[in-house]
Amino acid sequence: MAANYWDSSQRRYWTFTRQELADIRQRLEDKHRHLVQLYPLPDRRLLNIFFCQQLQRFSKRGTLGTKQQALATAQVYMRRFYSKVEIRETNPYLVLSTALYLACKVEECPQHIRHVVGEARQTWPDVITSDTSKMGETEFALISVMSSQLIVHHPYRTLLDLSPTFNLSPDELSLAWWIINDHYVTDLPLLHSPHVIALTAALLAVVLNPVQAAWSAGKEKELAAMRSGGAAAMRSDGDPVQKVGAILQHGMHQNRAVQAAMQSVVQAALGSAFSGGGAAGQELPGSGNTGGAGGAPTPALSAKVQKMMNWLAESEVDIEAMVDCTQEMISLYEVWETYKEKDCKEVIGKFVKGRGLDK
Amino acid sequence: MLAGSYLNQKRVRERYDIIGFISSGTYGRVFKARGRTGQVGEFAIKKFKPDKEGELQYTGISQSAIREMALCTELSNPNVVHTVEIILEDKCIYIIFEYAEHDLLQIIHYHTQTSRPAIPPMVIKSILYQLLNGVLYLNRNWVMHRDLKPANIMVTSAGAVKIGDLGLARLFYKPQATLFAGDKVVVTIWYRAPELLLGSRHYTTAIDLWAVGCIFAELLSLRPIFKGEEAKMDGKKSVPFQRNQMQKIVEILGLPTVDRWPLLKHMPEYGQLSNLAQGNSRVLNPVGLEKWYTSTVAHNRYVVPNSSPPGTKPDVPGRDGLALLQGLLEYDPMKRLTAEQALQHPYFPTNQAERDVLGKNCFAWSFTDYPNRRVSSDDNDIRTSSLPGTKRGGLPDDSLRPGKRLKE
Repeated sequence: MAANYWDSSQRRYWTFTRQELADIRQRLEDKHRHLVQLYPLPDRRLLNIFFCQQLQRFSKRGTLGTKQQALATAQVYMRRFYSKVEIRETNPYLVLSTALYLACKVEECPQHIRHVVGEARQTWPDVITSDTSKMGETEFALISVMSSQLIVHHPYRTLLDLSPTFNLSPDELSLAWWIINDHYVTDLPLLHSPHVIALTAALLAVVLNPVQAAWSAGKEKELAAMRSGGAAAMRSDGDPVQKVGAILQHGMHQNRAVQAAMQSVVQAALGSAFSGGGAAGQELPGSGNTGGAGGAPTPALSAKVQKMMNWLAESEVDIEAMVDCTQEMISLYEVWETYKEKDCKEVIGKFVKGRGLDK
Repeated sequence: MLAGSYLNQKRVRERYDIIGFISSGTYGRVFKARGRTGQVGEFAIKKFKPDKEGELQYTGISQSAIREMALCTELSNPNVVHTVEIILEDKCIYIIFEYAEHDLLQIIHYHTQTSRPAIPPMVIKSILYQLLNGVLYLNRNWVMHRDLKPANIMVTSAGAVKIGDLGLARLFYKPQATLFAGDKVVVTIWYRAPELLLGSRHYTTAIDLWAVGCIFAELLSLRPIFKGEEAKMDGKKSVPFQRNQMQKIVEILGLPTVDRWPLLKHMPEYGQLSNLAQGNSRVLNPVGLEKWYTSTVAHNRYVVPNSSPPGTKPDVPGRDGLALLQGLLEYDPMKRLTAEQALQHPYFPTNQAERDVLGKNCFAWSFTDYPNRRVSSDDNDIRTSSLPGTKRGGLPDDSLRPGKRLKE
């Protein structure tokens, strides 16, 4: 039900296995083979990054001032909608602004349709018309496709609830928060429960925060210690030193060193805490020169991480799922490096304009 | 805009035969229907009215309709009206519910005729038990109903009590703004809790329990216990103090005191209480709930069922009933019974087997055959946008819900 994830429509109807999701998408592609061939699209995650950024830009427009939760809900609506509807049949700008319009109502921060359409028109003048009935019609389509299942459970709540338990520092909490923000561009919201995602984000934040802090403060000694401890591996050809705040604000994908460290540290951490948990000693593609992410003892793991590991081991959290989430996030940050806004804009423009979907 | 054929996957008239029209209100109209594709049972189809009369364009769905749709798809409990499906078709929204033959308003009305006895105490107990179970389920799931009243409590012909009409319900988990900001006026005035009347910005599920108390009292006395007159919104923004309604409460319960309700002083309309007595002597000489209860019970003609052994006394609501009523009509929302506490009250049996019986069929103790819900067959065309004369006032969404929503 509404507050109970276990009885929720989200768990019953909108959580899939990877195989189920792949099958659903395959069927959809098969049905629209011609369109798929005519308008090739980049990696789905890159498109999602684009939509996420567009949505953020749109929602931050002066008079909309949408709250984070509505933004997250709108993104989940997009993921659900496009799991059932071929994207090349739609005007994604209209779908995303409508998703936000609907999410605002569900999250109790409603905006008038005329207002949202007005702002959308300002944001994307060449693909959005001023006709409000288009958004009204799209709203019907969204709700129909989602079978009126509009209540979404987010990881933010679990994160806030568990933050005192894990004694998260403000930096760790905001890092975890940003990881959750980022996970909406992946398939994770369709694959795992919000608490698994929240726990993964908290774990990543706790593990990565010292790495990130040391890196941004330029403390070579500490980094070296971490490296030799086998917990953290840094790329020797690292990026220029950045301030923690800047990294947090721009998301972790901005910092390749953090990204590489994340890979090895989390592997080591999960591996050491749960031998046989699936990630120990396993080299991930593109992991580079990791500094010993084996099942060996990892002295550099802080007491905090250790405590968290113990908590996880005692809880009945699905560790396999957490490993899966971690790998998904790592591979997201890899893919993110190839992201170019212009490319996405172009391919979307092609089918929207080419098929007259902006009319 | 959107090419493709995913819209209108389902059509109402392909799936249902409309038997007739049940009622209309600000929200739209309700029809009785039967399934055409083998669905078992009967259905009530609620068709939402478009925002403007004769609207031919999509104008965006009102927030209350969105709330109702979202909650209806999630909720599942024997004491909450079951939602079968929701169909969006031709710019209209249809929510299909399981059909309930009766509602509490209709049952109360049936008994008000002078020749008829009061509602049997065990029937009241069973209704209350089931109602509280439904409220418990809602509140546990962070849902506040906010519009509990006899007309919204359905009863099936098998005696199952089901909470209906979630048009004002909403989630209350960590609300982003105060609840007041979203909906200035909630709960039909007679069932409105004192903290709402006194302008509280942050109210809780306790408002639902006050309404349950009012419904309990109404089942006993067959008329609303606090039948005030609603002060209309004068300006556009300001919500008037519901002086008359507050007076009606005080005439029975007496004035609330800071002693019993410590946060009373902080209520925005606290200052209004001091002059409630002006021109109304009854405010200073309240009846008292105990006296109200005993005289109500004494006044009711409780009868002995024909089937009972000779010499049996009629079953009468006892002291426990009074205690429960006092716990529900408690001024301080912090002290008011929660649904969980109310269900543990000595008024209800502790034995689980007895409780199960109570939870199943409120008519088990009834010797009345209630008439079926009136269904008019003059108007069974679900396509037409609206009945003549049911014009909507053009109120902005959520700003105001008029006191009585059912046209009678």
